[in-house]
Amino acid sequence: MTASAMFYWSLAVTALGLVLIGLWGVLTRKNILRIALAFTLADTGVNLILVWSGFLPGRSAPIVDSSVTSMVDPLPQALVLTSIVIGVAVAALFVVVGVLASRKSGSADIRRMKELRW
Amino acid sequence: MIRTIIGLVIVLALSAIVVSSVSDYSMPSELIGVGRGYTEQGVNDTGSVNLVTAVVVAYRGLDTLGEVVVLFSASTAVVLILTLIPIGANPTPPSSIVAFTAGILPGAIVLFGIYIITHGHLSPGGGFPGGAVVASAFLLVMLGSNTIPGKSKFLTSIESIAGLTFGLLGFWGMLTLGQFLNNLVLPAGSPGRIISAGIIPLISLAIGAKVASELSGVFASYRKAGGEK
Repeated sequence: MTASAMFYWSLAVTALGLVLIGLWGVLTRKNILRIALAFTLADTGVNLILVWSGFLPGRSAPIVDSSVTSMVDPLPQALVLTSIVIGVAVAALFVVVGVLASRKSGSADIRRMKELRW
Repeated sequence: MIRTIIGLVIVLALSAIVVSSVSDYSMPSELIGVGRGYTEQGVNDTGSVNLVTAVVVAYRGLDTLGEVVVLFSASTAVVLILTLIPIGANPTPPSSIVAFTAGILPGAIVLFGIYIITHGHLSPGGGFPGGAVVASAFLLVMLGSNTIPGKSKFLTSIESIAGLTFGLLGFWGMLTLGQFLNNLVLPAGSPGRIISAGIIPLISLAIGAKVASELSGVFASYRKAGGEK
């Protein structure tokens, strides 16, 4: 395995690891703000996977220049720009709802938020 | 304990599924499909040197309009929830380091943000990151002061004008060239100059102003709601 291939696959493993850590945090944590943190971690991992899907080792950023001969795929990067902004919006809303729920039940522990259960 | 085990099992099962599904995936060596078309024709089609901005604003301009709408509705929801149900008062006073920094840095940060917004078609950047940088200057000012921000007509009117500008630029392309958000209602110019790439710089400005004012509004309502009871 060459150095560039190792770099390529280590990026994928890092991204997948971030998603899995975030998912694990969402499933196992009890503090609602930590769940929000784990959620944004998984979000970052998904963004990294998307950028990685358009990445080709040894190529430059998709900015046309006289010295640039080959570049990576610009489309995933543009979509990730969208995804990052949506992620910020969702995280902002998540935190607000989480803070409200924790003030209402007197604790940030999701086990004490009875009205969230069905 | 049981929760940890269940979480671990789910995570391991998911990672096994992912790894088994990409096992025949090999490292690509050439661009294919849409990405190849964008890199080959992007500069001719849009006049933008930065192809990511070309995709975001020109090729997928409608998606970006939808994204702005999502950000708008999320920030509206945050502000609405936090103003309907007041949860706190008395913001925590800043430490002397934060207060001192907030007196020096915001001007430079705003300048940097405006640079990122206006050079979105030339270098990495554009409306969204630049707007976030400008909003961070606003956040720093707010953290460095001891007061609660009041209602701001200025912010909401900037937000409305920026959103309206985006839509009107789209309809301009529809009226003159028969295509919503057509980039070339203004000449493409020579790629690499600051005034080039059709309406991309104008849309970047609109997006930057909208993102900056929206995020500032979210920060301001956080500040109003936070602090000690």
